[in-house]
Amino acid sequence: MEGWPALLFPKIRSFSHHLGEQSIRARLKLTFLVVLALGFWLFTFLVFQKVLVYFHSVELFGDLLNYRLLSMMLLTFFSILLFSNLISSLSTFFLSEDLNLILSRPVPLDDIYYARLTETLVYSSWMVLLFALPVFLAYGWVYGAPWKYYAVFVGGLGPFLLIPSALGVLLAMFLVNIFPARRTKDILFLLTIFLLIGIYFLFRFLQPERLVNPDSFASLVEYMTALNAPSWPFSPSFWFAESMIPFLQPAPVQAWFYLACLWSTAGALVVMGSWVSRALFISGWTKSQEARRVYLVRLPLFNRLLQGLSRFLRPFPRALVLKDWKTFFRDTSQWSQLILLMALVVVYLYNFSVLPLDRTPMPSFFLQNLVSFLNLGLAGFVLSAVAGRFIFPAVSQEGFSFWIIRSSPVPLRTFLWSKFWTGLVPLLLLAEALIFLSNWLLKATPFLMILSAVTIFFMTFGIVGLAVGLGAIYPRFRLENAARMAWGFGGAIFMILSMIFIGVLVALEAWPVYILFMAGFQQSSLSVFQWIGVCGAFSGIAGLIGTATLLPMKVGLRNLQEMDF
Amino acid sequence: MIELEGLTKKFGSFYAVRDLSLKVSPGEILGFLGPNGAGKTTTIRMMAGLMKPTSGRILLDGKDVFGRPDEAKAILGYIPDRPYLYEKLTGGEFLEFIAGLHQLGKEDGWEKRSQGLLEYFDLLPWRRELIESYSHGMRQRLIIIAALLHRPKVLIVDEPVVGLDPQGVRLVKSLFRDLVDDGMTIFLSTHILGIAEELCPRIGIIHEGQLLALGSMSDLREQAQSRDERLEPIFLKLTQEEEPRTESFGVP
Repeated sequence: MEGWPALLFPKIRSFSHHLGEQSIRARLKLTFLVVLALGFWLFTFLVFQKVLVYFHSVELFGDLLNYRLLSMMLLTFFSILLFSNLISSLSTFFLSEDLNLILSRPVPLDDIYYARLTETLVYSSWMVLLFALPVFLAYGWVYGAPWKYYAVFVGGLGPFLLIPSALGVLLAMFLVNIFPARRTKDILFLLTIFLLIGIYFLFRFLQPERLVNPDSFASLVEYMTALNAPSWPFSPSFWFAESMIPFLQPAPVQAWFYLACLWSTAGALVVMGSWVSRALFISGWTKSQEARRVYLVRLPLFNRLLQGLSRFLRPFPRALVLKDWKTFFRDTSQWSQLILLMALVVVYLYNFSVLPLDRTPMPSFFLQNLVSFLNLGLAGFVLSAVAGRFIFPAVSQEGFSFWIIRSSPVPLRTFLWSKFWTGLVPLLLLAEALIFLSNWLLKATPFLMILSAVTIFFMTFGIVGLAVGLGAIYPRFRLENAARMAWGFGGAIFMILSMIFIGVLVALEAWPVYILFMAGFQQSSLSVFQWIGVCGAFSGIAGLIGTATLLPMKVGLRNLQEMDF
Repeated sequence: MIELEGLTKKFGSFYAVRDLSLKVSPGEILGFLGPNGAGKTTTIRMMAGLMKPTSGRILLDGKDVFGRPDEAKAILGYIPDRPYLYEKLTGGEFLEFIAGLHQLGKEDGWEKRSQGLLEYFDLLPWRRELIESYSHGMRQRLIIIAALLHRPKVLIVDEPVVGLDPQGVRLVKSLFRDLVDDGMTIFLSTHILGIAEELCPRIGIIHEGQLLALGSMSDLREQAQSRDERLEPIFLKLTQEEEPRTESFGVP
């Protein structure tokens, strides 16, 4: 390898070593990820196929809706790509540790630019590519597109991904010369999260479920037509859409002009980027080094609040809990996750407020209580997702600093249980808030209100036990970004076990709750056998919760005790 | 004060440390030397409770590190070679955290002691800054302060002067002398033979996981059958490594 591709050699080799790991665990992990990715592709393909076929069947404006949808999706992809490239380029061009090594060698600046641009492109684009591919395939499939559609897709995808990359790098070059790189990265990261949440809310509040009701079509078409933004003729997403849409129509028109627009713009931006990089890269990199000293924004009130809240704890857990809280709230990447979590909760509750319970043939009283009971499973799923992101990585978040705990006189049992309680308290608050608000929106009976509150209370113990315990069984102390933990092998195992736990718990509770609910409704009493059955089911639930809480903690503790660090 | 009894650590079929036994008396500073990959850091990590030995025992003041870990670690101070710390805490908060781990209350006077140590190591103006803004040397100094905060009886040190400036090195050497005078026992692993020579009345040399030699300079000289006054040739002879080549790498 020569020239700029040689600079990618360490990354490529590291990746191939990673793929080539021979251990059974590594192979299992790879197989699991491949199956997961294929499953996701298939799922996305089938969902889009259904939606597109449905629209396609609507006379007059069905196809128009599909084309609009394509334009909107491409605009969304483009916006996400632009932001994610901007953030990635701050890391790859200015904050990456290996830059010290590269910049001390006689490497031409252009080589660094092209290599880092490629890295940025790959880091930022693979996720969008993963999501977009089945969507475009679904379009081709539904419209029976000719091979030219796929050729244009492949030919246009390159520049469509390259344009936001080159633009992102260009913007980063200017930004870093004005602001410190680390601060810029944090701000942009938060902005990206807001952008994603905005898009999510936009789609959610459009209420796509209204599509099942033909009465609401007129307003939706009005809305779609009013969205002029995707049609802006100087946007790369417009060019890409206009390159492909002609091949979805019965009489294809010439699309090559827009393809040429994409390629020429991508080429021009890449070349302009190299000029700007020659002029601004070194000064920007120097500034990013100077900006390493980040001073703490002091919040004495917040620190005093934490001190006060933890006052009643014993010294060992108090030290651990205070440390965990402080490190959590000072990490800006955690804030963005918290914002995402809040968005998830708002949308979750919003869903209950728009449920058309009054339009179903079933008695609404029965349905409300049925949904309220099933809501236990849904809330459990939300709690599992939150626990997977925030509680499962708690042990690994100690990182290389875990030596401090291991060489201290704090028993590992105390350490692990402090992680449990630190995770449990906020998750319990979230769980009870979710259940109370959703039941209130559903107008559930007091019986189900109390039952749900009690069940979710103990279910949370099980979820946290599984999260902390499995986090200790599959710790990854070398991982820089704890958010990635949730997507790893251990994270997937946690999610699967957590789902099984919630499913079995809800299933075990369903029968006795039905019996008790109906007895209350019909004002009748239970027979002895029914009481025995109810008691048996509740004993099973208690056993299940106890096992889910204590067993993973026990195995996790043993793993930590036996582990060499 | 420190007793290693038949200490062995195997990784698969590879012996990192094999049947290592030695004793360090109270108030003694023992130098622990060895070439790269000899098993120094593995030994130290086992002594600090970070790694379980395959066989053998480690006693600190008679307490087994793996049998009674909480009691053994309560009297231990450990300074690792790489200063990994909690980046999002300030220096002062990190020391408060360490005090919490050792259950030190205000009545134990840890705040005054941390103030004194921060001043000694020129870190007092930095105590309210996040550790992520500290240089490598500053982190190393903070770790040394943290290791001494609870007045340990035993101090285990892995490469104490890596990343320190000359002033820092001088401070550390002077501090170790004072601590030993006060009765602390120090187990000091280092690559820098000059430091071992200067600070340690007794030196142990480990090679390929086994203790080759243990004793004073004259004991080592005798064992190596050398008349040299310096530690370097004795060390090289004992570990059977050749004298470093001195010819130029220039034009062949």
